[in-house]
Amino acid sequence: MGIKKIAKKDIGNLLHQWGKDYTILVPSTEGDTALTVHGSRFTVHGLWDGSDVNLDWHRNTVKPPKSNFLPPMEEMFRFQKGKEGHSIELPQEERRQLIFGIRPCDARSLRLLDMIFTDVYQDPYYLPKRNSAVLVGLVCLRPYDSCFCTSLGISPGGSDDVDLLLTDIGDEFLIEEISDKGKRLMELTAGLEDATEDDITKASEAKEKAYGKVTRKIDTQHLKDKLLSSFEDETYWEKVAAKCIGCGICTFLCPTCYCFDITDEKVKKQGARFRCWDSCAFSLYTKMPMENPREEKWQRVRQKVCHKFEFYPMSFDVIACTGCGRCIRLCPVNWDICQTLEGIRDRGGDHQ
Amino acid sequence: MTASDISDKHRFLAQGNVYLPHIMIIEKIIEETPGVKTFHFNFKDEQIRDEFTFESGQFGEYSVFGVGEAPFCISSSPTRGDHLEFTLQRVGKVTNALHRLGVGAEIGFRGPYGNSFPIDLLQGKNLIFVGGGIGLAPLRSLIWNVLDNRDKYGDVQIIYGARSPADLCFRYDLDAWGDDKTVDVITTVDRQESRVQSPVSRVEAGNSRLQSQESRVGAGDSRLQTADSRLLREGFVPQVLEQVAPSAENAMAIVCGPPIMIRFTFPVLGKLGFTPEQMITTLEKRMKCGIGKCGRCNIGDIYVCRDGPVFTYAQIKRFISSEH
Ligand SMILES: Cc1cc2nc3c(=O)[nH]c(=O)nc-3n(C[C@H](O)[C@H](O)[C@H](O)COP(=O)(O)OP(=O)(O)OC[C@H]3O[C@@H](n4cnc5c(N)ncnc54)[C@H](O)[C@@H]3O)c2cc1C
Ligand code: SF4
Ligand code: SF4
Ligand code: FES
Repeated sequence: MGIKKIAKKDIGNLLHQWGKDYTILVPSTEGDTALTVHGSRFTVHGLWDGSDVNLDWHRNTVKPPKSNFLPPMEEMFRFQKGKEGHSIELPQEERRQLIFGIRPCDARSLRLLDMIFTDVYQDPYYLPKRNSAVLVGLVCLRPYDSCFCTSLGISPGGSDDVDLLLTDIGDEFLIEEISDKGKRLMELTAGLEDATEDDITKASEAKEKAYGKVTRKIDTQHLKDKLLSSFEDETYWEKVAAKCIGCGICTFLCPTCYCFDITDEKVKKQGARFRCWDSCAFSLYTKMPMENPREEKWQRVRQKVCHKFEFYPMSFDVIACTGCGRCIRLCPVNWDICQTLEGIRDRGGDHQ
Repeated sequence: MTASDISDKHRFLAQGNVYLPHIMIIEKIIEETPGVKTFHFNFKDEQIRDEFTFESGQFGEYSVFGVGEAPFCISSSPTRGDHLEFTLQRVGKVTNALHRLGVGAEIGFRGPYGNSFPIDLLQGKNLIFVGGGIGLAPLRSLIWNVLDNRDKYGDVQIIYGARSPADLCFRYDLDAWGDDKTVDVITTVDRQESRVQSPVSRVEAGNSRLQSQESRVGAGDSRLQTADSRLLREGFVPQVLEQVAPSAENAMAIVCGPPIMIRFTFPVLGKLGFTPEQMITTLEKRMKCGIGKCGRCNIGDIYVCRDGPVFTYAQIKRFISSEH
């Protein structure tokens, strides 16, 4: 396995090279928050030189990468009514995507989403995008206070879920091949230097340090069973949900939330069917003519927590949370998933 | 789920894409009650028309292009007819749009989805069908299925109720079943439109067929001048069930109807000696994808679209008291 490196000043060239075959998505700052930016600015217009790729900033993006595989709004097909009745047309296949600088937690989130989108039925929109994409990971050297990925078996210092992995070693990035797909891409990539022993040592030190920087922890032991037994504890869940304003931000921006709605638009004789992000934070989500199983806010908050920490483990044997901390730092009222889980543990203990 | 189950599920995909509807043509429309219609429909594509199969209890996602999609069970039996049927109550956007369509109109359909009634388990047993309102739609598919293989089953008893005489669906089926000497049909309404008598109080226990004229509703309602009216009782389905008191021995009860009816029916069956394993029902949750992806139809770790909609009471008991 070849370990390579590239000077930071040459990243623009590298992305240009890859941009010939892929739509490049890069983290870029706007204000003081990193956003994932579509690289089409340079592939289409040839204007962008890669200079505002912001990898020095080392903070994760606001929008999770799911939005590139399960877009907030996606056309499923078009329909038209003609003389012979209705005809249906599928959208054009999109260009392959290369996600540059994806964090280990977010790369894991895609693995978690794969489970639902391959469960019994293969999802014909998510999977082609996912299978054709390349993930170029980045060791996360500056986690947020709200991050707790290490409690969920994820390390900010490494990832098996990416194709290539970058580590910041000063003026350069070390580049490691993680998957076969990554290996093939490396073989086709010009302008990389071989890494030295010294570079590799520097990278290992950085990775180890990164691990220690995640200080927030949750205890996942027996969590599933504790949640199961807390299910009927309305008082507890009401307390937990009290300050939530039900805005849905925590679900829209959670990298593992995938709920969607299906809806039609039509003008005269033609239209399209779309799928759009939806959220269990809304009561309309489950409303039926006669009743609503999640009419109350506490029932919806409970669903959000239990889905990730109880139901997903029951279905797929894995917790559907990566500890990315988005739901904590982006919540307008500082609702904190870790506090909720902590409370569940206490509830099951002496305090009961 | 085994590999063969999975490939089976992928048999009827349009262009290999699970979200693409097949184009269907409406062939006939029956007005069941003022708010409920049954549509006979068929695939426009003749090849899939011939190949398509489904099981009683399964559902589909139906769409009016430009309005949207909604789930309904297939109310016809796989044992009958060269077309499919679905029966729907007008409650909102999609159902209203469907109700406005006429014969010859095109709709979208994808399916069949979900599990089905456990035919293997039901064979050789006495069957008690308990239905309320439009809940007869999924039951009807199974009832015809059973009657078309009559020798494989024991006694068949059907207890069906609706709010008022005008709300009874599938009168033509109730008549046909009533005429079938191997089937015991008991029809009840919550309230007679014009109160002549209270037939329920007059029924002797065990005598499931009410012969008397008294149960007939006043001359005003011509809809009741059908054969089933001779059987019409008054009372809620769970109460009638308790009076009829079917034996639990070698029996299975299949219960479909509004949630409130289901909730009151299970305890009655319990009293009659039915174990939770002997009670079968279908659950209804709001659905969009129908295939376990969009997230909304869960109760706990169960996705009603993927793991249901047919469940034994034993499977869902823990969710009935407090809904997830
Ligand atoms: C597996 C299954 C089988 C069903 N079979 C039948 C059937 O055979 N006959 C029948 O009449 N109905 C059936 N239903 C219920 C039917 O799907 C809803 O009545 C229908 O979706 C309402 O759509 P709408 O666009 O007209 O309503 P909307 O305009 O969307 O809403 C009207 C009301 O219906 C509720 N609603 C909307 N969508 C759904 C939904 N997908 N499921 C439940 N409630 C919803 C809304 O919250 C609202 O209260 C079934 C539902 C399920 C889940
Ligand atoms: S972001 Fe905060 S306020 Fe909004 S739904 Fe989530 S927990 Fe509630
Ligand atoms: S639940 Fe919160 S911490 Fe966990 S993956 Fe979702 S946004 Fe990140
Ligand atoms: S209807 Fe989408 S998950 Fe069940």
